[in-house]
Amino acid sequence: MHKKNKSLSRHKKAEGTLSYFVLVLGACMVILPVLWMVITAVKNDMEIYQMNGRILPVEVSFISFVRIWRDYDFALYFRNSLLVTAAAVLVSLIASALTGYGATRFEFKGKSAFLSFILMTQMFPSIMLLVPFYKILSIYGLSNSLVGLCVVYISFTIPFCSWMMVGYYRTIPVEIDESAAIDGASSLQTFIRITLPLVRPGLVSSAIYAFITCWNEYMFAAILIMNDKMKTAAVAIAEMNGYYRIAWNDMMAASLVASVPLIIAFIFMQKSFISGLTAGAVK
Amino acid sequence: MTRNKNKFNITPYLFIFPVFVLLAALVIYPICYALYLSVMKTNLTNKWEFVGVANYLSIFKDGSMVKSLLTTFQFTVVVVLGHLVLGTILALALNKKRPGVNAFRTVLIIPWLLPDVVVALLFKWIFNANYGVFNNILIRLGILEKNQAWLSTGLAFVILAAVCIWKGYALIMVNMMAGFQSVPEDVYEAAKLDGASPVQTFFRITVPMIRPVISTAVILDTVWWFKHYTIIKLLTDGGPNNATSTVSITIYKEAFSYHNYGVAAAGAGVVFVVCWLISKIMRRVMDQNA
Repeated sequence: MHKKNKSLSRHKKAEGTLSYFVLVLGACMVILPVLWMVITAVKNDMEIYQMNGRILPVEVSFISFVRIWRDYDFALYFRNSLLVTAAAVLVSLIASALTGYGATRFEFKGKSAFLSFILMTQMFPSIMLLVPFYKILSIYGLSNSLVGLCVVYISFTIPFCSWMMVGYYRTIPVEIDESAAIDGASSLQTFIRITLPLVRPGLVSSAIYAFITCWNEYMFAAILIMNDKMKTAAVAIAEMNGYYRIAWNDMMAASLVASVPLIIAFIFMQKSFISGLTAGAVK
Repeated sequence: MTRNKNKFNITPYLFIFPVFVLLAALVIYPICYALYLSVMKTNLTNKWEFVGVANYLSIFKDGSMVKSLLTTFQFTVVVVLGHLVLGTILALALNKKRPGVNAFRTVLIIPWLLPDVVVALLFKWIFNANYGVFNNILIRLGILEKNQAWLSTGLAFVILAAVCIWKGYALIMVNMMAGFQSVPEDVYEAAKLDGASPVQTFFRITVPMIRPVISTAVILDTVWWFKHYTIIKLLTDGGPNNATSTVSITIYKEAFSYHNYGVAAAGAGVVFVVCWLISKIMRRVMDQNA
């Protein structure tokens, strides 16, 4: 018995070492490219264009971080992205929370058809919507506007957000709102006062998902927005790629500014995010 | 509640109404419009000519769409398998409560948070022919003699797939972790008592038990990457020689470079049918074995 325990603990130790080894490798795989983004952003123009030059910068320069606000209009582009994203996230959250409540608290005709319809809309290739949206938005006078773009983004975020909210609502026992109903609360009151605080993690992960989807979207923003003043950050960064002489340091600086807020927000909310994201799967 | 069973109750419909209306207006309506476009020869402004199924026929007659469908299959299989392998290995390593595991988990999710545009341009810069750090390091290590234009070589597909695996494995990893946690501890103990090895336990017990948990994630991952556009567009733009020209790239060019909007809409219709079939088949395979 004693011997067996010893070999078991040795086995456990080996397993632990292997796990850390895998995790360190994985972390390097993630960190090295991101580090290269940071290193590039703090190099000066001379160092960017040195063939097989030094990997680390000779001197740390923040000129790119100054230029993206001064020489490019990134303050405007970030504002555009933020406006479109915030509006789309808000609409998606309200609509998908209502659906999550409705689809888990009631039996009704067409419910399963409705749920598979939601999942089905994920199967439509977004490229399939590109040409029609291009035309439809112009029919309704929404082409070349942030409102039009926001409308398009809502169509991207609603299906998966609803799916997540339905999944999250399933994990909340119905008994809780049934007791509220006995106390005389209406469905809408129960939904707002009782269930919304309980599904907070589901709301957080839907919000993060929707935020990432809209903030990162490129294809539709590139096609639907022609006006320079309405460009989103993703499009503006991608356009830097088209210049005759690509300013990689400026581009990486803009990329960092576009990515870091998301990462920080995620670090603070990751616990609810992960539990909400996977609630739809675990039944 | 049971009393109302036979009475029509409008409340649930009011709750699902916003999503229903938004999806009908923003997904179903455009899709119907796309179907309409797919039987027209049009420039979207003043030329509208009904051509029937000619657009669909031209897709299959013109080899480029068929070829790009095959490329897309190849791309999707490689990327999703990559996500599964990498996601599973990392989820296994993150599964036990050990010091520092949470920090690793946070770091490992970062690629999923980065915008597609940023990921594509970052790797375009890393693999840049003249000033890229990849060439630089290989030359310093003596592996390479002179700079290579990696993204214009036969390796472009492999590099593109690797970048897309890097970008997307985290979603599978997170779902795997949730799956592992859904397996009760005593199942493992029973397997151990029966003398099952860790590998046997993983494939015979863990995999069948988590299959229903991760099946939706895998199906969505497949469909998402099947229709992926941004990273491919910015990293290789379908090149070299159409080696990475997936359907999204081909349709995009058909519409916005050649202005064959009808053909593009027909192509998108074909892609939808394919996506739908894939999800049906995958759902059946996964549910059957669960």
